[in-house]
Amino acid sequence: MTDGPLIVQSDKTLLLDIDHPLSDECRRSIASFAELEKSPEHIHTYRLTPLGLWNARAAGHDAEQVVDILLKYSRFAVPHALLVDVAETMSRYGRLRLEAHPVHGLVLVSHDPAVLKEVTRGKKVAPMLGLQLDDETIVVHPGQRGFLKQALLKLGWPAEDFAGYVDGEHHEIDLVQDGWSIRKYQELAAEGFWHGGSGVVVLPCGAGKTIVGAAAMAHAKATTLILVTNTIAARQWRDELLKRTTLHEDEIGEYSGSKKEIRPVTIATYQVMTTRKQGVYAHLDLFDAIDWGLIIYDEVHLLPAPIFRFTADIQSRRRLGLTATLVREDGMEGEVFSLIGPKRFDVPWKEIEAQGYIAPADCIEVRVNLTEDERLNYATAEPEDRYRFCSTTATKRKVAMALARQHSEEQVLIIGQYIDQLDALSEELGVPLIKGDTPIKERERLFDLYRKGEIKCLVVSKVANFSIDLPDATIAIQVSGTFGSRQEEAQRLGRILRPKADGRTARFYSIVARDTVDQDFAQNRQRFLAEQGYAYGIIDADDVLSANPD
Amino acid sequence: MSVNSFADELRARSDEAIAALFEVRPDLLSPVPTDLSALSARANSTPSLMRALESLNKFQLEILTSACVLTEPFSKAELLSVSTPEAGDELVRLWAAALVYKDGTKFRLPGNLRHLIGDEPAGLGPQSSKKIDFKALKDIPADSAAVLERLTWGPPRGQVGNIKSPGKAIGWLLENSFLTVMDSKTVVLPREVGMHLRAGKVYKEYSPEAKNFSGTNRKQKDVDRAAIANISNFLRWCEELSHNWSDEPPVALRSGGLGIRDLKRSADHLGVDENCVAFVAEVLYLGGLIVVDTDDQILPTNSFDIWMSRSLEERWSSLVSLWLETSRVSGLVGKIGEKNIAPLGPELDRAGIASMRKITLSTLAQNLELDPEIKTLQEIIAWQMPQRFNAEYIEWTLREAEWLGLTGQGALSQFGQAFLSGSEDLGVELALPKPVDHILIQADNSAIAPGPLTVELANMIGTIADIESRGGASVYRFSESSIRRGLDHGQTGEQIKDFLKKTSKTPVPQPLEYLINDVAKRHGRLRVGSAQSYVRCEDEGLVTQILHDKKLESLRFRKLAPQVLVCDVEPGDLIATLREASYLPAAENASGILISAPAIRRAKSRPRPPRVLSESQAPSEIIIKAAVRTLRTGEKASSHKPREVPRTTANETLDLLHQYIEEQASLTIGYADTNGGVSNRLIDPISISLGTLIARDHATGEMQSFRIPRITGVSPAK
Repeated sequence: MTDGPLIVQSDKTLLLDIDHPLSDECRRSIASFAELEKSPEHIHTYRLTPLGLWNARAAGHDAEQVVDILLKYSRFAVPHALLVDVAETMSRYGRLRLEAHPVHGLVLVSHDPAVLKEVTRGKKVAPMLGLQLDDETIVVHPGQRGFLKQALLKLGWPAEDFAGYVDGEHHEIDLVQDGWSIRKYQELAAEGFWHGGSGVVVLPCGAGKTIVGAAAMAHAKATTLILVTNTIAARQWRDELLKRTTLHEDEIGEYSGSKKEIRPVTIATYQVMTTRKQGVYAHLDLFDAIDWGLIIYDEVHLLPAPIFRFTADIQSRRRLGLTATLVREDGMEGEVFSLIGPKRFDVPWKEIEAQGYIAPADCIEVRVNLTEDERLNYATAEPEDRYRFCSTTATKRKVAMALARQHSEEQVLIIGQYIDQLDALSEELGVPLIKGDTPIKERERLFDLYRKGEIKCLVVSKVANFSIDLPDATIAIQVSGTFGSRQEEAQRLGRILRPKADGRTARFYSIVARDTVDQDFAQNRQRFLAEQGYAYGIIDADDVLSANPD
Repeated sequence: MSVNSFADELRARSDEAIAALFEVRPDLLSPVPTDLSALSARANSTPSLMRALESLNKFQLEILTSACVLTEPFSKAELLSVSTPEAGDELVRLWAAALVYKDGTKFRLPGNLRHLIGDEPAGLGPQSSKKIDFKALKDIPADSAAVLERLTWGPPRGQVGNIKSPGKAIGWLLENSFLTVMDSKTVVLPREVGMHLRAGKVYKEYSPEAKNFSGTNRKQKDVDRAAIANISNFLRWCEELSHNWSDEPPVALRSGGLGIRDLKRSADHLGVDENCVAFVAEVLYLGGLIVVDTDDQILPTNSFDIWMSRSLEERWSSLVSLWLETSRVSGLVGKIGEKNIAPLGPELDRAGIASMRKITLSTLAQNLELDPEIKTLQEIIAWQMPQRFNAEYIEWTLREAEWLGLTGQGALSQFGQAFLSGSEDLGVELALPKPVDHILIQADNSAIAPGPLTVELANMIGTIADIESRGGASVYRFSESSIRRGLDHGQTGEQIKDFLKKTSKTPVPQPLEYLINDVAKRHGRLRVGSAQSYVRCEDEGLVTQILHDKKLESLRFRKLAPQVLVCDVEPGDLIATLREASYLPAAENASGILISAPAIRRAKSRPRPPRVLSESQAPSEIIIKAAVRTLRTGEKASSHKPREVPRTTANETLDLLHQYIEEQASLTIGYADTNGGVSNRLIDPISISLGTLIARDHATGEMQSFRIPRITGVSPAK
């Protein structure tokens, strides 16, 4: 028995004691094959998943290395069955290969005839395959490259794709490094992607994903389609590309709800791509509009499901996924792996920390006691109205206003889900409200004023804060809003809460009605935030109110 | 008669030889036979011979079977010539086990042995009654030769469509007596022909030695590491399963044992497969740590708490030794054909599994640092005990040994070796991770015990938190419901907080403290109790008066509210008592409406009208016929003198029965019933097996079995 920092559990979670002297070293070693699940203050939890292990395989690690690392750092004896399972899982990757055959086009090759036999028996796989050329080679029907990879992954035999890519239409793109230079890890990431052909680069927020994209484009020197989450992101990409590369304004097109430009480099939003007219995806042609040499997917973890379907059809084009995390709420990690590609690069944790991934924000939950009338009304409300009722009570509004006054000297954002409630708050506090139907011009004007500090407080609806890039704030007050996905929560926090220049920590208040469903959502939020390493505290509303008597 | 001479031969053996016989066949000793003829009878009895055969290895069995092919008495040279020159030593061993005995310089077999070996030893047919001219084989037609080839190594029988037109190939063989007719559809290869075709040897190949052990090399250090992980896992499973069943006891099936649904649930809970849970449950059951309670709930017993108080090594070794000895085979659990075999059920007992386990482990002990290749191991054990061998048992034994940590990475661990050699200190305690006495609480309301917790700590945390992940460490999660459970167990919020502050190495996070306070504040605000009846009255003064009335003290009123009293007396009695004390109560129903008239009383039991005694009815035809038959048989039996069958000794009885079976003659036996009354039965004996005589009873005309010890005497039917 060693006295290592790692505890390997039988349910395949790895517990890392970060107060241990070897924890840094161990963290770096296991990051290549295990997914970080949560990182509260003392013990971090990683998980061993088949995808994680296959990613490690794709990155050139073998089972022996993984087992050695587990044994080296493990505090207790590691269950033999788990080690066997790791070796077995890893050995599954690469037994099947997709290759280009000079005569027959795409073929599925395996040196293990038994595996080949097993997968060809699969109901889903069989229709995609054609003639068996010999014991080790089977022709794949044209156009099935992506679907086959998806199906094989589901069977537990992920195929390695060596079938190569089309070059696409040539377009000269280079990086222009004047007054800035590409960081080492960004260069490595772009190279890692280029040599791997297709795949995902995992970089923390703010680590310069756009630059990696630009570097990849400089490698490809070809027409590029960039898919991003929203219009604001599209504009950011355009600005960055103009600043960092030889591209000119008229070479970059925006393909969104308002503009439909197709240029050698086109930036399209997920939303426009998934818009349907009479049940048909209206903008699918974009994928074939130009002979794209590279397709970049920004924020892969948010990629909507229909995009996967289109992606399956364009497997011969190089694909680069950019993301901060491989974990998806909808469990479609397998699609990312099979259709976009395995993880090609990730930045060591140290970098993430330096980037301030764990933002030094305090999260404070304010528990509000409902008045007796409110409690009675809540108890008799229909189940579907209960959340709305308890999260929009007058008591809550009072607390929110008290908090806003308490921080009247700082930049405050009040976030909520229900427009009535926000209207009331905006009116009573005398501050502007931004909601879904606020025109973009007006939004940008208000944000501008806010950034300049001319407006100290803004009320924003959930719709608004989800679709636009909020300016930095030091205080956020959430009055209503269910705990949505973890990504949503993390993104919101990460974006709006930046430490002040003078080192004052940002604060995130959420106001919660005690003993109601509101509190259940709050519990999820607490768990998630604490798992992400945020400090979390709970206070009573009375304390807030008594500190701010009016 | 052969039995007598077997007895004579035993009588002639030296004391040492008899002692040696007892050593190899210990069953002959219980109970100690009265004399040597009793010993010989027992040594020749089917059960004892069966046990003796089971203890033979493959080679010995081959030699003994070869001996069965020979005509008695046979010489050693004859035996060697039909088997192998190496058979000499084994013959001595077979003699020592009284599976052969000497007749002068030659040998004979105990009478019953041939029955056990079977009519077709080593696939050789019966002896031919005709003279066979082997020279004719020179001119054998090709298809006849093919038939012979197929029958040579057994089975010696072949089916033909119609014996009257057997076809050319078989016709030629029948003509030349190379085959004989068995019945209208079967031909058989006579023993002489078989032996001739086998070139005078009974078996094609003899296997004087077992195969060599083969397996993957392992380092003892790694083996021990893996084993210790297994041991700690196994102990954790035992503990966890018992706790889980104590919280949510499964209910035993009507047919006995644990239902599939509960098995699956427990498997999910432990995070292992169903076979493994079945195994753990069985081991706990063996140790008496769980039991099927009187109400069919499966629950941990007090022994579990005692077991938990012992050291880890003791816990482990106590269960391992039970496992080694038990005849229950948990590997059988699951669906076998149509039937589902449940763990803890009545259908898991199998003879011979314990010896199979021991031999498997001792084979591993002879081949340390090797992870056995299962096929070879099975072959080795099949050689050692061909009669009892079961390939699955070995697979299961290996699987279970790994679960138990007797082995690690497939090879026998140092702990397994120490256990098998009966050593006092197994070294398990030292090798297991030390229990930790602290936890780390994190802000996401989880607590991590970075190692196995001491029993007290684990119990306490188990009541106030839910376990989330298991292994070397445990991850617990605090939630509203888990804290509530702690409060239900009698802890207070303060106690829980103190406990956490004391045991946590890290400061207790503020949200957790808040959670505990919050739950503690709300816990118990609602109170639930039971009462038989209540008294309510709008006049609070009257309520107070009743409460303090000396005459009503016996009712033990409790005041729930100014206007309500409750007590544990039936409403009817309450009303009566109040009236006696000169109050004027009225009854009301559940919705508070006055019940004006007293309820008419009715019995609570179901109606049970008395039975009608009828005149005696005419008996049915069947009963009459049976009665007549009994009378006639009685008549017949009494006409067969003697009325009372003369008593015969057990040996005589057996001899006579064998004789009658051979002669196929009817006989009368005296047969004691369960009350000791002896009746005479007129029977046609058919066969004897396992201490039971199968015969046709003339009285019923049906086949019936008679226990031989109950037969008081035998005499001819006439």
